[in-house]
Amino acid sequence: MRPALSAGSRKGRLSETLFVGALLLAVLIGVAALAALVISVLSQGIPRLSIEFLTSLPSRFAEKAGARPAIFGTLWIISVCTLFSVPVGIGAAIYLEEFAKKGRLSTLIDVNIANLAGVPSIIYGLLGLALFVRMFAMGRSVLAGGLTLGLLVLPVIVIVGREALRAVPSSIREGALALGATKWQTISRQVLPVALPSFMTGVILAISRAIGETAPLIAMGALTYVTFVPKALGDRFTALPIQIFNWTSRPQAEFLDTAAAGIVVLLVVLLTMNTAAVLLRHRFEKVPRS
Amino acid sequence: MAKRHFHDELHDLEIKMLAMGGDVQAQVGLALKGLIEDESHLFSKVVEGDDLIDTYYLEIERTVVDLFALQTPVASDLRLLTVLLHINLHLERVADMAVNMAKIGALAEELPRNDSVLTHLQEMGGIALKMIGATMDAFARRDLDLCLELPRMDDPIDRLNRGMLQEVLAISDDKRLLEWGIRMHVVSRQIERIGDHAVDIAEQVAYLITGEFREFTDASHPQGAD
Amino acid sequence: MSTDKPVFKTRDLGVRYADNVAVAGITMDIAENQITALIGPSGCGKSTLIRCFNRMNDLIPSAKVMGEILYRDQNLYLPEVDPVEVRQRIGMVFQKPNPFPKSIYENVAFGLRANGMTDNMPTRVEEALKRAALWDEVKRDLKTNALSLSGGQQQRLCIARALAVEPDVILMDEPASALDPIATARIEDLARELKDQYTIIIVTHNMQQAARLSDFTAFLTVDVDETESRRTGVLVEYAETSQIFTRPKDPRTEAYITGRFG
Repeated sequence: MRPALSAGSRKGRLSETLFVGALLLAVLIGVAALAALVISVLSQGIPRLSIEFLTSLPSRFAEKAGARPAIFGTLWIISVCTLFSVPVGIGAAIYLEEFAKKGRLSTLIDVNIANLAGVPSIIYGLLGLALFVRMFAMGRSVLAGGLTLGLLVLPVIVIVGREALRAVPSSIREGALALGATKWQTISRQVLPVALPSFMTGVILAISRAIGETAPLIAMGALTYVTFVPKALGDRFTALPIQIFNWTSRPQAEFLDTAAAGIVVLLVVLLTMNTAAVLLRHRFEKVPRS
Repeated sequence: MAKRHFHDELHDLEIKMLAMGGDVQAQVGLALKGLIEDESHLFSKVVEGDDLIDTYYLEIERTVVDLFALQTPVASDLRLLTVLLHINLHLERVADMAVNMAKIGALAEELPRNDSVLTHLQEMGGIALKMIGATMDAFARRDLDLCLELPRMDDPIDRLNRGMLQEVLAISDDKRLLEWGIRMHVVSRQIERIGDHAVDIAEQVAYLITGEFREFTDASHPQGAD
Repeated sequence: MSTDKPVFKTRDLGVRYADNVAVAGITMDIAENQITALIGPSGCGKSTLIRCFNRMNDLIPSAKVMGEILYRDQNLYLPEVDPVEVRQRIGMVFQKPNPFPKSIYENVAFGLRANGMTDNMPTRVEEALKRAALWDEVKRDLKTNALSLSGGQQQRLCIARALAVEPDVILMDEPASALDPIATARIEDLARELKDQYTIIIVTHNMQQAARLSDFTAFLTVDVDETESRRTGVLVEYAETSQIFTRPKDPRTEAYITGRFG
């Protein structure tokens, strides 16, 4: 006869509770730190937010300073960055994943792409300076800035692209090829559509990282104080993170509020993009994948 | 082994079949003994003993059908099961023949007998007993050569059976002896059919071994070269 | 082997992956408009073998095909032969139903578009679905996502899209092993109907299915060499199905199909 079921040994229960408690504490610490940051920024920045803030040019006077050039600058360089890195990145991902022969060379490429993704962003700034600004004589322009950021996110996009392609079940490729489709027909009409949602999610996350980059832009020569909005690819520019940095380094205390307002704008942009990424993933994962 | 239980069951069935064959052979022997040696108490024993044979028959029949349904046998397993069904039926018929012989013996108890006819019957009966033994042996050992012997062993019985008519006619003067003789003629017919059944069993065993079904002999054609 | 004009003739066909010979020495003729089954224990190479017939082994970089396989007297593996065209003529249905994550219509239409058979598309799609015995169940809304169909329906959809490109041969690699018995029975009925127009080769691990369905059966087994290091699939016996299942010639065949194997 076995003993009747009991509620479990007391000793096990205690250590489990302690463990869960420790985990909870870790979560709370992280959340608390983040909350402290966000709350302080919001409380400083929101009062300062207004349409004037978004549409005015910067000024020596904190009350009149606006983020317009910075916002436009960010938009310009992010557009250039995306237009460059996404097609190149996905092209490279498709080639590496679907066409390249798996062997020593491809492993080498894999390793190096991973390395590139981890290189400190300032290096990319220096690269951009040497390559785009000087060698290609683009000057310290929006084009050069966007391409610099493009190079920065390119390895990440290639990795994201390969992951997305890898996640497509090989049964889909087999099924398509078995019908007498060519490799390209299979990739373009069956594999890519399935890979697209997760690829887009990854791209959005990579780009949103780029939005916050400051060091590489400063290294390749973005301005920190501009009074004009860039209107062409060749124009000089500034970006939101740089503008914020500029405001925080001003002696006047009021500029801290301005900086906080800038940070809020930046956070809103980031939050929007991340939410879009999450929503995209949810929407496309409603369609079941075999 | 993938189908252990099934193959064990098949093995058990074979054992049962061989046991049934032995008992049927004993039944025939008993009936013969009763007739030849005028031991009429054996006849009722034969009749009673038939119940056991019937039990064997039903059990084997039922088990074979179950195995067909549940095990989807193929190849040699399949052939074994179909052959078992056939042998089952033939043995059951042979047992019936033994019962018939016993019943006739009981009816002829009070009648006078003739030694010549009895010798004739004894010879036929001996061969028939040997044939049952041989065919079951061939089954147990899967001996194709022995199977092919059976039709040859059957020839003397057929010959002796034809000779019985002469024997009986020879004693036709005495009415009571004649009655006995006629009854013994029926017995010889039974023995002849026992021989036929033994040959049929051998035919089945040959099919089991080779996978090809061939009739050994039939009434219209004499036995072929192989 | 009575096959007047075999659709396939293989001579010493084999496949090796780098060092390991998966299957070797396969010499057999496949009869037209018949169902030929490949059976054998796991690892005997029957799936590897069937994938030679439509050059799907090309997709595995380390795979090398040895020997010869003729499709209607044409060597399939000559350099000038286009595997894409081969696969249009020799279709395949896989073990796990793999419809594209698109609508039913698009699943069938994909193959048609890929092969330039774009005239009368709706009719072609309907014909294919009818031939695969799926039309009545899906005709109400062809825009439904294929993944919402049941397993058996998905497999019939895969058969429909293979039929749409008008193949000559249909290869089936364990087509019903992921399906319940009723869906399996429907696939088997379908295969029987299809053999009038197509030649069918089916790999199955279910012997009763091979017995029920096929006209010819090939039994393959694993040959392990003395040092127990190399395992290669070999063809043991190939004959009419009724013979294989009532009086097989090779003791290895007998042992396998009666379950005395292993």
